[in-house]
Amino acid sequence: MTAPKAEKDEEEQPLQAVLVADSFNRRFFPISKDQPRALLPLANVSMIDYTLEFLTSTGVQETFVFCCWMSSKIKEHLQKSKWCRPTSPNVVHVITSDLYRSLGDVLRDVDAKALVRSDFLLVYGDVVSNIDVSQALQEHKQRRKMEKNVSVMTMIFKESPPGHKTRCEDDDIIVAMDGKSKRILHYQRAQALKKLHFPMNIFHSGSDEFEIRFDLLDCHISICSPQVAELFTDNFDYQTKNDFVRGLLVNEEILGNQIHMHVTKDGYGARVSNLLMYDTVSSDTIRRWIYPITPEANFADQEGQSCTHSRHNVYREPGVSLGHGSQMEENVLIGRNTVIGANCTISNTVIGANCVIGDNVTLDRAYIWNRVHIANDVKVKQSVICDNVEVKHGVVLNEQCVLAYNVVVGPDITLQEGTVLSMHHPDEEDDEDEDEFLSDDDVGYSKDKTKQKVFNPAEVGSEGKGYRWKSSSLDDTEEDELAECIWGLALNPDPESDSESEVSEGSHDLGSHPASPELDDVKVFQNEVHGTLQRGLDENISCDNLVLEINSLKYAYNISLKEVMQILIRVVLEFPFQQQGAQISTAQYSSHLLPLLKKWAPVFKNYVKRPQDQMDCLASMEEVFLERETHWAALVKVLMSVYQLEILEEEGIMRWFKQSSTTGKSQQLRRNQGLLKFIQWLEEAEESSEGDE
Amino acid sequence: MELQAVLMAAGGGSRMMDLTYNTPKPLLPVGNRPLIWYPLNLLERVGFEEVIVITTKEVQKALSTDQRLKTDVKMRLDVVCIQEEADMGTADALRHIQQKIKTDILVVSCDLITDVALHEVVDLFRAHNATLSMLMSKVHEFTETVPGQKGKKKAGEQRDFVGVDVTGKRLLFMANEADLEEGLVLRKSIMRKHPRMLIKTGLLDAHLYCLKRSVVDFLVHNKSVTSIRGELVPFLVRKQFSKSLNSQNATEDTEKNQKQQDAHHNFELLSTSKDEALLQLARERSCWNDHRGDMSEAYHGGKLRCYVHIMEEGMCYRVNTLAAYIEANRVVPKLFEDPPIHPSAVVSERSLVGSDSIIGPSCQISDKTSIKRSNVGTSSIIKEKVKITNSIIMNGVTIEEGCNIQGSVICNNAMIGRGADMKYCLVGSGQRIEPEGENGVAASTDPLSPPPPHPFNFSTSPPPTFLSSLSSWTRLFGHNL
Repeated sequence: MTAPKAEKDEEEQPLQAVLVADSFNRRFFPISKDQPRALLPLANVSMIDYTLEFLTSTGVQETFVFCCWMSSKIKEHLQKSKWCRPTSPNVVHVITSDLYRSLGDVLRDVDAKALVRSDFLLVYGDVVSNIDVSQALQEHKQRRKMEKNVSVMTMIFKESPPGHKTRCEDDDIIVAMDGKSKRILHYQRAQALKKLHFPMNIFHSGSDEFEIRFDLLDCHISICSPQVAELFTDNFDYQTKNDFVRGLLVNEEILGNQIHMHVTKDGYGARVSNLLMYDTVSSDTIRRWIYPITPEANFADQEGQSCTHSRHNVYREPGVSLGHGSQMEENVLIGRNTVIGANCTISNTVIGANCVIGDNVTLDRAYIWNRVHIANDVKVKQSVICDNVEVKHGVVLNEQCVLAYNVVVGPDITLQEGTVLSMHHPDEEDDEDEDEFLSDDDVGYSKDKTKQKVFNPAEVGSEGKGYRWKSSSLDDTEEDELAECIWGLALNPDPESDSESEVSEGSHDLGSHPASPELDDVKVFQNEVHGTLQRGLDENISCDNLVLEINSLKYAYNISLKEVMQILIRVVLEFPFQQQGAQISTAQYSSHLLPLLKKWAPVFKNYVKRPQDQMDCLASMEEVFLERETHWAALVKVLMSVYQLEILEEEGIMRWFKQSSTTGKSQQLRRNQGLLKFIQWLEEAEESSEGDE
Repeated sequence: MELQAVLMAAGGGSRMMDLTYNTPKPLLPVGNRPLIWYPLNLLERVGFEEVIVITTKEVQKALSTDQRLKTDVKMRLDVVCIQEEADMGTADALRHIQQKIKTDILVVSCDLITDVALHEVVDLFRAHNATLSMLMSKVHEFTETVPGQKGKKKAGEQRDFVGVDVTGKRLLFMANEADLEEGLVLRKSIMRKHPRMLIKTGLLDAHLYCLKRSVVDFLVHNKSVTSIRGELVPFLVRKQFSKSLNSQNATEDTEKNQKQQDAHHNFELLSTSKDEALLQLARERSCWNDHRGDMSEAYHGGKLRCYVHIMEEGMCYRVNTLAAYIEANRVVPKLFEDPPIHPSAVVSERSLVGSDSIIGPSCQISDKTSIKRSNVGTSSIIKEKVKITNSIIMNGVTIEEGCNIQGSVICNNAMIGRGADMKYCLVGSGQRIEPEGENGVAASTDPLSPPPPHPFNFSTSPPPTFLSSLSSWTRLFGHNL
């Protein structure tokens, strides 16, 4: 499938790269609904330009850009960029298809079209890096020469120990490698694990030195041999690179392919896989960690982007005007023709072109894109504000807010931490779920539709425009990505959680287990019944089966039928308290309870048959309500309901009511206004029915 | 006194029973000195003036009578005897002598022959205020053929997995392959603290440990721990990462402290805790840190720390197998500047003794005899026309004329008959190999000696062949090989 291997002149082959300008996930929704991820600006330059600059500077002469989602936009961007000028040392081919659903599809296409002739670089369109891969490439070639075609891939990692900013929590990987040959033996994502498990067979490689590394960040740059594309073709179930790596490692003995790694010491490489990484990589760019790729370098060679660099890493493009008393403290990049009002404090912030910022604005770790209007007295902390957003005066954006394209917020509203606002209504997702990767022309359509829906002033302010975006529960598991949140995983995974387990382990050493208090059978039975009903509710189990379960419990705990009924009543009546907490009001209580009674009526009918049962049933109801004086008003509703559901008959209720009550409290209960009315109504109904006869 | 030295010399040498059946392991001659001399010398070289020797009655007697040892070792030996039958482990032995232990201790095994700069281990112990520091070395490949064993060591030997941090000093993980059937499991919290862990196999534990005084107290109160290497060290390594040490009363460390109090060690406790407070203060005030990459305090707040010094070069042998014994005998003479031929030995001028051989005191070596790459022990008599290569002849051995001995070990007081031809044989103490042609079977003095394997099977039998009553063998070799 690959081009005939002309080994002899392999050295002279120009280095090729495959750039995947699609993430195949919805991590950046709703932002990436309007703009593909590769084109999002990072320090005012599209991310794909960073990737292409990296590829070019590392010696790539031919790049294949694969796009799917909004491919026309990417194509358009590239055609305008310096990469498509005739002078470009890196020839860029754009290959688009709506059918790519994963990295696997792209590489299968690479194989089918026989695009690569030799070892190639594989990167995503959102990788920012200044790594010089030539050494790794040389090592890779050396390995390929030494042992023919055994090593198929060299992955490039950057040191980034736990706690380091660029350590992406999604990519919390642990790698076991051979200490000498740098061969990857085990590769695992560890974010949900407390214990790391390494199978023994990885230690049988004949080496006596292994290294387990938890301080690596996958730069998502890999040097692949053409075999990689073939392997993707052969294994059509490989979707992601993760599938590929794991598949290769697990089947190493069968396929005989190996993966090696290269750890860069001083290079920078990171993939902007979520907004947290966006934040980190942006600030690293401004702090010049990615030198020589710096904002003032204007490597993308765009007109008007040349900016000046002054101390404290303050960058200004031409035409910036700064009002009186405004301070740019440190690490600030301001795009051209942006106007900033008076008395603003700006730190660690990127502002795009043609923005207007009012007076007394405080910006910290804000990423403001182009043509944004921010009115006076606004505070923004660690948030992303997309193109054409209008922030009215007095708005406060707390950490990790996102204002997607064209949103209007305010005035005088405080957005909670993690608020995401978008012009796209979260529900429209459902309509276009089928073909959301198709193209961008449905965006206009959805815009029309959103206009019909009403903006909620509580969410966006009285003059605001936009909807609160809920990260819909996508069961998009084909990528085995995590539950996707735009900002990535929790910032600081609590290290104490580990020590807890250690504590428990420690006590385990001593074998001291505090015995749980013994419950008597009735109590246990009650718990079981509660559990059964709860499950019945959650899983929608039919009443017949519930009866079966309760009956079997009855036998298991040796409970009499009368007790079963009493307990059942008690459990059901207390159910709302269990679910909603004991503090709920009477109205809430009855509104929760009545549907339950209706739902479980067949269960009650199964147990309440004889007149005596009715009396027992009422007695236990009375018992429950006597314990909860505040909810007496609900009793009448309960009685009404069970009467209407024909669980209890009027005779029974009357008999119970007229029963000579023993305690003062139950007499008090019977004097309840509502109850008296109900009884009266019952009596009348009885009389009328008698009259009818 | 900073450290007290404890020498463990009560081991039976169970992995080389053939040699130790009659001679206790500490007294086995290596380069014509008893094995125990080497660790004693190691300690003396670095300036110890006193050492507690835990050993058996038999060895004690030998120690007190061996003149050469007395003149060589100037340290004061405080010999503590334990009963051989009691089957005590090394930790039991420490518990046994706890009354004598006043400070931190350095525990050495009697079978260690090394030229390590001992301060490396002690420096780790001092610098990090460690609870444990130990010595390891790269495993040596034994190149020589071992008597009774064909080829290399059996494959599939259980390896030790030792995990160290990136500096190669901090001991993070320790397990034997046998315990790792279900794979190697590490807690993520350890990896978070030490994100780069080197897992090394192929290391030899030299059984040399620096231990804190409190560990001995811990042993006193935890009688179930019997062995230092088998139980105590892995326990300490594991415990490094138990946060609960400091918070929970129920766990070992505080228990240790509490029990210390219970045991009326209040004085020591107070004095150490005073030191602790000063150290703590020093650490807080300094910008020093033991790790980089995150912002947490030095040692991540852990109080218990284990370190290991791994010898990259130099010599380190544990004489606990026959192969190691042979190898040590070959290497050791080169290290010491003793004259290869003891002045009191009588060596015929018409014999050939290679410079790579050593001849012990009062030996007699007759004419036309050649000795190459071999050690000959005290008071051995070697007759005419004997050819000895690559062999170890212990003390009081008589070798009659015309023998050809190659790659063999001849134990004390053995008698090799005339004309014997031996290759890779092991002759037990006091055995007599009858002269060629005389078909007498020597009475075995060793009831434990295994029945002679089939002659043709000789080379494949896994355990070292015990050539005790095997004169028929000798003849077999003489004629058939």
